Amino acid sequence: MCRITSKSYDNERWNGGCRASGAKREVSAELIENLEPGDYVMVHAGIAIAKITEEDEDEAEDLLEGLL
Amino acid sequence: MKEQLKKAKAIIEGYDGPAVRVMEVCGTHTHEIFHLGVRKILPPQVELISGPGCPVCVTPAGFIDEAVWLALEKNVTICTFGDLVRVPGSTKSLADARSLGGKIQMVYSPMDAFEYAKEHKDEQVVFLSVGFETTTPASCLSVKMAKEAGLTNYALLTANKTMPGAYEMLKDSADVFLYPGHVNAITGNALNRKLCEEEGISGIVTGFTASEILTAFAVLLKKFPEGNPFFVNAYPRVVTEEGSIPAQKLIKEWWNHVILNGEDWYD
Repeated sequence: MCRITSKSYDNERWNGGCRASGAKREVSAELIENLEPGDYVMVHAGIAIAKITEEDEDEAEDLLEGLL
Repeated sequence: MKEQLKKAKAIIEGYDGPAVRVMEVCGTHTHEIFHLGVRKILPPQVELISGPGCPVCVTPAGFIDEAVWLALEKNVTICTFGDLVRVPGSTKSLADARSLGGKIQMVYSPMDAFEYAKEHKDEQVVFLSVGFETTTPASCLSVKMAKEAGLTNYALLTANKTMPGAYEMLKDSADVFLYPGHVNAITGNALNRKLCEEEGISGIVTGFTASEILTAFAVLLKKFPEGNPFFVNAYPRVVTEEGSIPAQKLIKEWWNHVILNGEDWYD
């Protein structure tokens, strides 16, 4: 049931779908506003819970820069 | 190796501060820390403690007993995450119930359970709703969808839990908590800031990639020797201060929150 990061695509049934590691899966995008096909989302138990950026490197860089 | 990972690794490996107990609250963090080999680069002063954040581990045997009873005595179709199937109840697991003729359907999501109920209107379907703040919205959403579809054969058996009371109970068991980013994506950070300011509980919200986990350790090993309680959101690309307002609204709309003891952190 735990989370996975995946890329969204259009899907009518639950208004969302995701691809991750080659697998496709219908998910609900009910909790995300302004989601576009191709956006990255965090999915947990079949529901997209947050929209995220594709890369995390910049964020880690910023955090570490603040410490050094 | 990417530059920021090198920096984080250098901070972690060069740590010469006091002993620190770090509790990874979430089972996925425990798994990823093991999988990525993070333990191998941690200095000996850093003790890792696995926390309570596995929905299956904190589900009582009595809950399994109820589900088994529904399946075997009431002919209910049980839809459940696969994680729960082999968990023992007092006398039987759901796998045992299935072998005795009970209908036990494994699903990936509560919405799958809703779809099953929609396609099998002659069966009473119960989804076993377990988990923490991250999983609860999905259960709420399945009930909402069932109501909108006019279903009368879909219900939840609930054992959902919230994290803040657990943090408070465990505050003496660790010096720093690694907070699960997906929980905070729902709840936001106000509760953790309150725990820091009022209870002196230090913690850092982090994600699940190598970069995110190593960055979190680097940040906490810089902060901890300063001697003051701290809270850092090291996962801002996913976790906002206010969390997911639609998810919080969904939970408030569909859930009755029961306080067993202590304070209601969600008032």
